[in-house]
Amino acid sequence: MLAKFRPVLFVLAAAALAYPLMPFSNDYLLHVVTLVLVYMVLAMGLNILPGFCGLLDLGFVGFYGIGAYTSGLLTIHYGLSFWVIVPLACANGALWGVLLGVPTLRLVGDYFAIVTFGFAELVVLFLTNEIWLTRGPLGLPGIDPVSFDLTWLNPDWFYELEGEVPYFYLAVLMVAFVWLVMRRIEDSRLGRAWFAIREDTLAASSCGVNILRYKVIAFAISAGIGALGGAFYARWSLFLSPDMFKFWESFLVLCMVVLGGLGNISGALVGAVVLVVLGEGLREILPILGLAPETRFLAYGLIMVLIMRFKPSGFFPAIATASARNPLIRDLKKRLAGYESGDKSGTAA
Amino acid sequence: MEPLLKVDNVTKRFGGLLALTDVSFDVRPGEILGLIGPNGAGKTTMFNCIAGVYKPTSGDITFAGQGGAVRTNGLKPEKMTELGIARTFQNIRLFGALSVLDNVRVARHCRTSSNFFGAVLRSRSQKEEEKAIIEESMRWLEFVGLAKHALDGATSLAYGNQRRLEIARALATGPKLIMLDEPAAGMNPRETRRLVDLIHAILDAGVTVVLIEHDMKLVMHICHRLAVLDHGMLIAEGKPEDVRANPQVIEAYLGRGAAHA
Repeated sequence: MLAKFRPVLFVLAAAALAYPLMPFSNDYLLHVVTLVLVYMVLAMGLNILPGFCGLLDLGFVGFYGIGAYTSGLLTIHYGLSFWVIVPLACANGALWGVLLGVPTLRLVGDYFAIVTFGFAELVVLFLTNEIWLTRGPLGLPGIDPVSFDLTWLNPDWFYELEGEVPYFYLAVLMVAFVWLVMRRIEDSRLGRAWFAIREDTLAASSCGVNILRYKVIAFAISAGIGALGGAFYARWSLFLSPDMFKFWESFLVLCMVVLGGLGNISGALVGAVVLVVLGEGLREILPILGLAPETRFLAYGLIMVLIMRFKPSGFFPAIATASARNPLIRDLKKRLAGYESGDKSGTAA
Repeated sequence: MEPLLKVDNVTKRFGGLLALTDVSFDVRPGEILGLIGPNGAGKTTMFNCIAGVYKPTSGDITFAGQGGAVRTNGLKPEKMTELGIARTFQNIRLFGALSVLDNVRVARHCRTSSNFFGAVLRSRSQKEEEKAIIEESMRWLEFVGLAKHALDGATSLAYGNQRRLEIARALATGPKLIMLDEPAAGMNPRETRRLVDLIHAILDAGVTVVLIEHDMKLVMHICHRLAVLDHGMLIAEGKPEDVRANPQVIEAYLGRGAAHA
């Protein structure tokens, strides 16, 4: 369904990429767009669990928080470069994904969802109460912005990213990277094993898929991507506090994935655009109507109810021929077309 | 001849229910063994014990896969598949949202090895493996006659073809033994005839077959040997003509007194 809009999407993407360089570009708008990009990364990361593996994860924000605080603390205490921190934060997120996943992924359905929910709450409690490490509710101010330190080449080559424009492009790169990784995983042995688990666990194991191991891998990769989003967020917003990682963030990201269509990577991107823009819009409009800005959560709830009622599989449901872009599959399609015309249907025995 | 699969005094208890009591039989390489019995006799439970879904309460199951005979009780289903036992299900269990080809491609999982890094980096070995997976999957789809439907959704297939797809998926795991749980259930006579041809073709491809089936005409026609279960106990084993004449078997199917009538 997205394919129909491809030319339109290209034009939109090109316009979005060029916009920051225009003289009329506006910092607030760029900030919102960068936020959209961060949520795109989170939505693609979460999509692995409910979308590919059929696991309901209500605690995704926990990994986002772990990534953000890993990034923030390493910057403040050790002054590490962003480029070193990103892989460390991802690895730390993935590590916690494995630590949480190994004992709990034996649970199925709602029970598993409750465990993830509890985990996210634990992360917030930890960030709030372990004041020696995180400064608790005071938050973590004074995180250095992203910089390129090339002084080992030339003592003058030290660049610090300032303002919204460079962060916008950095976020675009991050989204493109995660998107590519997701597309490649989706069409691979790993992705097919996940789909098999989602569709029928018993049949998957009788095809030789080790269910627990592949669920843990899914959890680790999803957590790593969540942490990636967090690592970027910390170095972009330059301030962290525990209430940025409350439960409703998990819910918001889950809404994006469901809105876009479970299991559809591009759908997750659309979901992120729609819900972040809607949230920012409501933040402006609601006070004019004399309502508290928090009323916007009601709107999210309403959207979820409407989706469940009218579009239960989201706006862009994942379709059976997901790997249609793979050259091997295209090749096969041509061969099959030859089959039909020659009417060599290859009946058994 | 050394048996391919040896079921030795297997008992399976679910709480107070004895689903299988001291069942023993062999499966010889290159034969079609029919596992029959009235409803609730424990046939599918037996399959599940062999396939690793259930662990027998007592007794041994030994399978002569690659590298000699292995005692397999307690091994997980994915391990059994790796050893060379494939199975289909009584109620069709396809991956509904996937294409016909992808259903079979999943089954190559246990014979391939590329991982996350291979997938992301698209290494040369990963690409070659993907190509080989498609070739092998198409080979089995052709074998069951579904090649032209390869890119259709699995649930768009007609019922009989869904059963054939399940068989293709099982065969694609590279088994030495395939267990078919009521393959002819719900098939019309024409589909059943094609199924008989397919089962013979499977045997010719060097895969031993065990099947559960209620269609007695089919069973008597194609099985080399039969094992009969009733109330979780093995009541007869042998050639179809001997089993058909066995009074205990007739009693199990038709009730007491029928054997004398």
